[in-house]
Amino acid sequence: MSRDSTGKVLTVAFVLCVICSILVSAAAVGLSERQERNKAEEKKRNILQAAGFYEADVPINAQFSKIETRIVDLQTGEFTSDFDAANFDSRSAARDPETSYRISPDLDLAGIKTRSRYKDIYLVMDGGELQQLILPVHGKGLWSTMYGFISLANDFTTVNGFAFYEHGETPGLGGEIDNPGWKKQWQGKKIYDEAGETRIKVLKGMVDKNAQNAVYQADGLAGATLTARGVGDLLKYWMGDNGYKPFIARLKTTGVKQ
Amino acid sequence: MKALRNLLDKLHPHFTKGGKYERLYPLYEAADSFIYTPGEVTDGAPHVRDAMDLKRVMITVVFALLPCFFMAMWNTGYQANSAMQFSGGSVEGWRGWLLALLGFGGDPNSLVDNLLLGAAWFVPIYLVTNVVGGLWEALFCIVRRHELNEGFLVTGSLFPLICPPTLPLWQVALGISFGVVIGKEIFGGTGKNFLNPALTGRAFLFFAYPAQISGDRVWTAVDGVSGATALAHAAEGGLQAVMAVTSWFDAFIGVIPGSMGETSTLACLFGAAVLVLSGVGAWRIMISGLIGAVGLSTLFVLVGSTTNPMFEIGPLWHLVLGGFAFGLIFMATDPVSGAMTEEGQWLYGLLISTMCILIRVVNPAFPEGMMLAILFGNVFAPVIDQMVLKHHIKRRLRHVQG
Amino acid sequence: MSKPRDVLLDPLFNKNPIGLQILGICSALAVTSKLETVVVMALAVIFVISGSNVSVSLIRNQVPSSIRIIVEITIIATLVIIVDQFLKAYAFGISKQLSVFVGLIITNCIVLGRAEAFAMKNPPGLSFLDGVGNGLGYSIVLLIVAFFRELLGAGKLLGFTILPSTNEGGWYLPNGLMLLPPSAFFIIGLLIWALRSWKTDQIEEEN
Repeated sequence: MSRDSTGKVLTVAFVLCVICSILVSAAAVGLSERQERNKAEEKKRNILQAAGFYEADVPINAQFSKIETRIVDLQTGEFTSDFDAANFDSRSAARDPETSYRISPDLDLAGIKTRSRYKDIYLVMDGGELQQLILPVHGKGLWSTMYGFISLANDFTTVNGFAFYEHGETPGLGGEIDNPGWKKQWQGKKIYDEAGETRIKVLKGMVDKNAQNAVYQADGLAGATLTARGVGDLLKYWMGDNGYKPFIARLKTTGVKQ
Repeated sequence: MKALRNLLDKLHPHFTKGGKYERLYPLYEAADSFIYTPGEVTDGAPHVRDAMDLKRVMITVVFALLPCFFMAMWNTGYQANSAMQFSGGSVEGWRGWLLALLGFGGDPNSLVDNLLLGAAWFVPIYLVTNVVGGLWEALFCIVRRHELNEGFLVTGSLFPLICPPTLPLWQVALGISFGVVIGKEIFGGTGKNFLNPALTGRAFLFFAYPAQISGDRVWTAVDGVSGATALAHAAEGGLQAVMAVTSWFDAFIGVIPGSMGETSTLACLFGAAVLVLSGVGAWRIMISGLIGAVGLSTLFVLVGSTTNPMFEIGPLWHLVLGGFAFGLIFMATDPVSGAMTEEGQWLYGLLISTMCILIRVVNPAFPEGMMLAILFGNVFAPVIDQMVLKHHIKRRLRHVQG
Repeated sequence: MSKPRDVLLDPLFNKNPIGLQILGICSALAVTSKLETVVVMALAVIFVISGSNVSVSLIRNQVPSSIRIIVEITIIATLVIIVDQFLKAYAFGISKQLSVFVGLIITNCIVLGRAEAFAMKNPPGLSFLDGVGNGLGYSIVLLIVAFFRELLGAGKLLGFTILPSTNEGGWYLPNGLMLLPPSAFFIIGLLIWALRSWKTDQIEEEN
């Protein structure tokens, strides 16, 4: 058979395709379990980091054993067991017409247009007592959607930790939301005032430590007004009536029972 | 004077071919021709005789910049003095010591006090720019065995004028180094650069150290005082926010915070008159730049926007705020990095000014767009010229064949 | 026939794929803000180039010339997917940072270039050396670029603090430009300048 005959072309193409597809599928299938585990651990790591007790040298699953995942219906503020908590993905749920919720433009402070009706939330338990509440939040920064977790103490208003795990803001400016110094200032800030109003705010400049409202205010980012404003707005949205507020109200009265 | 001439003549052999300092000839030549009119005559066959040599062009530009220098010092001092009078604070460090020695009173209504304080901020930046930039220039001339020319004089004058007063001096040195080396020398030196070196240096600083060259805290030379530029106010709250901090007339005169030399549109207009009357600056670029900015900003006003307050800033404001006037008059018209053909200059001016307005209004991150717009224009200038030339050739070719 | 030694070492400086041929610039801009990602990327590219060179060379006498580019691309794509899967399984953090750029090795002109220009005409042993050599040439440039970008942009090398930065209480003010991809252009440009001042025969003649 000559090298350029049709038969040869087809044979070479066929044999090559078979060999390559075997190699590719072997790699994909053989490694998929490990990859899935990586993905799950990655999410848990982000949650632990937001909660502020991530340790690099302790296995993630051991650290996560104190944390319970629940799914919440944001409308009613009730827990729901319609979903498998371990595999729930609120990003794809926000795209699925079944579970998606359209935020009306005048309420859409976070600039995200739609969100899932249900959110995965994380309870840090110790001896049956709720210690911390970790909530996923996201919203528009200057260039990108910023994804993060905020962790609240068991008074449901004092911030324990707040960190973003995914964003595309300008390195050195908006990207400074990853700056450890900036993240640290959130510790001890309060989201709600005595009357239950959402008061948290990100300022344009630095917080005046002696000001009366300093506890509701966070420092802005130098040269990144819009990113900082995005952070403030997404907190206002998620901690407000259209976000987690009904859930937090219910949690205060009936506790963590299903 | 005779002694000086003799000294230079005595040193001359050392710097010529075979002499001890042969490689340093450019430095000798620069010193000699700076002090004395060169004695040599052109000896090649074709020579163009024109009073408009490089030296004359550069000196004219520097002369046109004089009012901007004056306003840079006066306004820097005025802004700082007013801020100190309003919120307290004093001039710190060596500046305070020096000013006290000169009988500085800190009165924003005193011309002398403003100039003194402004000079205390402006002069160090000017000196660092010219010493560091000059050193690079000299180094490349020695390596390449060129003669030092006056090209750097203009860059060295423009660069300090587009810096905020509080820019750290090491950043000034770094910025001008980048501008001169990357913006000019690697392309072969004066006349071969395709970007404006002063703007290249500023763009480097803008992206490398944004906290020291943008934002609200860098424009007033008093520690901890924040004074946003008028454009930043506009991006924040539209026309109302601008009117709250300045009047149109103040912005026109240049009594607003900003990069030192760019605030005064009036001073820039004087420069424009000098450049156009002497034939140094391309008036086509200025006119088409004006048309583009007025046209596009009028369009934005007419279209309107509920979410973007920049839309309501009209053409009159755009012309006097930020670096538009300064950039259009002194930088867009740079004969080396700008378009050279006549039709090309019309296009080039339009491109820069519309791009500037577009960045100011539509890009949420940058309230000012002139620097980036001019650099963008620089990149396109050769393409524009090429297109114009191609078009001409095509038109004339028709006659040949017909 | 070229000497094995030259085949391996020439691509490092004399015929560097990035420095002389200006190929593979895309990933050189995108992944070089940290040394760590570059090391992984470099290993991946060395593996893919040498692997594709050997495979293409092995079947070079069987492949009909009408479909040879498709065959080369299929082999390269297979290798790249395997690398990508392994990274996702064993170096998840870094593979997230490299994101699409591992996949984009498929379109890296160096890989197809070597398969087409060298492996189709030479035996497997030499093709392997050529692949490793070109992979190393690519890696050297990326490592140099990343060295400067991480050091000047974050004051760190491989994540260890070298110059303590101001926002962590040190004295070094990080250069934000170095964190943005265009800075790689400047560094590669300066590198090529240095390389051509050293080896003047690389300067293209003006026409």
